[in-house]
Amino acid sequence: MSAVLLVRTLRDPASVGVLDADGWNRLLAAARAERLIGTLAYRLEGVALPDAVRPILGDARRDSGREAQQALWEADRAAQALRGLDVKLVLLKGAAYVAADLRAGQGRFIGDLDILVPRDAMPAVEAALIVAGWEWVKEDPYDDAYYRQWMHELPPMIHVDRDRMIDVHHTILPLTARQTPDATAMIADAVHIIDGLYILSVEDRIVHSVAHMLADGDMQGGLRNLWDIYCLLPDADPAALAARATRHGVAAHVRQARRLAGAVYGAGARLTLWDRLVRARLLARDGWGRESRKLLVFAFFVRSHWLRMPPLMLARHLLTKWRKGHRPQ
Amino acid sequence: MPDLDGVTAYRRDEADAVATCVLDDLTLLYHHRSGQTHMVISPVPEILERMADGAPVTVQAMHDRLARDYDLGPVDDAVVEIGVHLDALVALGLVRPA
Amino acid sequence: MKHAITLRIGPATFRIGSAWRQPIADLARLYAAYPDMGGAIADFTVRLQPTSLARRWVRPSIFITGDHGLADAAPMSLAHGLLAAEMGMNLQMALGWRRHLLLHASSVEKDGRVLVMTGESGSGKSTLAALLGERGWRFMGDEFALLDMDSGAILPFPRLVSLKNRAIEVVTQAVGDARMGPLLAATAKGDIRHMVPRTDAVARMGDGGMPALLLFPRFGHDAAVRPLGQGEIFMRLTQASTNYVALGEAAFTALTRFVAHVPARAIDFPTGDDAIAMVDRLWEELA
Repeated sequence: MSAVLLVRTLRDPASVGVLDADGWNRLLAAARAERLIGTLAYRLEGVALPDAVRPILGDARRDSGREAQQALWEADRAAQALRGLDVKLVLLKGAAYVAADLRAGQGRFIGDLDILVPRDAMPAVEAALIVAGWEWVKEDPYDDAYYRQWMHELPPMIHVDRDRMIDVHHTILPLTARQTPDATAMIADAVHIIDGLYILSVEDRIVHSVAHMLADGDMQGGLRNLWDIYCLLPDADPAALAARATRHGVAAHVRQARRLAGAVYGAGARLTLWDRLVRARLLARDGWGRESRKLLVFAFFVRSHWLRMPPLMLARHLLTKWRKGHRPQ
Repeated sequence: MPDLDGVTAYRRDEADAVATCVLDDLTLLYHHRSGQTHMVISPVPEILERMADGAPVTVQAMHDRLARDYDLGPVDDAVVEIGVHLDALVALGLVRPA
Repeated sequence: MKHAITLRIGPATFRIGSAWRQPIADLARLYAAYPDMGGAIADFTVRLQPTSLARRWVRPSIFITGDHGLADAAPMSLAHGLLAAEMGMNLQMALGWRRHLLLHASSVEKDGRVLVMTGESGSGKSTLAALLGERGWRFMGDEFALLDMDSGAILPFPRLVSLKNRAIEVVTQAVGDARMGPLLAATAKGDIRHMVPRTDAVARMGDGGMPALLLFPRFGHDAAVRPLGQGEIFMRLTQASTNYVALGEAAFTALTRFVAHVPARAIDFPTGDDAIAMVDRLWEELA
């Protein structure tokens, strides 16, 4: 399993010393597939590398630098668009980590801009973004209704000139999910960083990342999410984190994330049977960058929907998706 | 376009510095912060040049600065046109409301 | 993966894996004169994999992906496996290459100076580069010209030349059957056949040259030569580059320098012979 090689390298960068060409090819393919190549490039700074590897990682570092810059620019544009609304604009995930210069942001792949705003401000936020040039990504009416009725965010919008997406969240899990984190408290405790932009508090950052990965996701990109969590954990006081997690209804998930982060990237941890299954899912990536263990991956896809939706709705949703030819990757 | 009602003055932020290159009668601007390349013509480069100090400037004041070096024609028309250019620059993120 | 080969083209190394034997066997034959890179660390991984498990055997259908891929890439028939491999390599370059500014252009070199030709698919840039490569020019590439952002030089990327429809016969007559790949009939872009560049083009694939003339060819029109404004040239080159935005200010500086220093013309031509005569004349006058 080449994902094993990837996490070993992130844990212990000096271990690349023993890699042959085939090992490097497997490591690089897994890192790209997990979108951790930029993180890998940062971790391997100062380590002796083969000539053929140095430019590859140099490119990855430059790419992540540009992504960080673009994420900050999109955040700046969103702040500009919402100027005058008196809405606290809270950055989530990658943009938040780079804006606050956190270790989790180093080399991190950043896609869309994710922001959190109060639920009652959503209509005004939506209108202000449209005035500033964002528009709906063309979706079919079913998807649009699904988003608005059940999800924790507006349907994605894209900027007409800059071609960049924004996801506007009003809470951190779908409304159908079993856990119900307190988004109002998260926004109230958000920390100001720069130019009218906020990020979640130390504890809430972890809670959000955990909710995103364990309570919500089908584990696509799970190794990257777990790396975020691993990097965020040392900033939090364990007791304060546990209290906060309980408040948001994700205490068990946060405990599991601590165990997994310790087992995969840290000094080790005792794992439950369920932890081991999750870890196997996270590490399902072969030396060509393909997802291996298809059945396990599919089980997690179904599970992620199960977590979000009552069973009948799940059946309806999967049916609608499959009629359109969608299959889990 | 952002909602610019009520914007009375404009300024350039140091962080919004651009690299410029003149090709024929066009000026290319590379905006470091956004990574975007903009292609502009007169009077945009001239307006940006006159905001280099970073101090807030009103449309009227910009008109007066430009009028020192160029014949801008009737004042009212020129002020409207300069205002439109400044608002377009705000939309691109090269200029900020002061 | 079950079948694999590692190829080097210009500055880039590709590790190509396939669920089927045939595409890899085709690559091994057509790239035989290229450096043997078995066991090297590759810049990119390309995967030719079945669109589903059943599609490995039943009406085999190839999904092209790799380090960089497009989720909605159309599947291809196994009969077009060679084309799939070529497209897979192009995809990695287009989406992932960062060490040069990538121009979607063909290029040929003479006396150390380079002629760059850019245009849409069907403009004739590939055919023209292939024909010039048989008439005293060194063929450097038919798909990507690599602009070195420090020196301003153009570097070669001499992969197999992809010829379409009528161009196949014209070029086969010029180079002979031995240097041609299998005929791939009725692909999404019509019939396609690949041509192996001359051995000197392959042997010198590390040698660049300074750009001396830029042409925007257009096949199928009455002969005409038009100058272009620098602003238009700049716009068209940014549109012809897949990594201009990703490379940031270095690309801005390199491309503006290219536009300011390299003379450029748009040329329309009815036949390959007309085009070659026009190229020779413009090279005399401008380069």
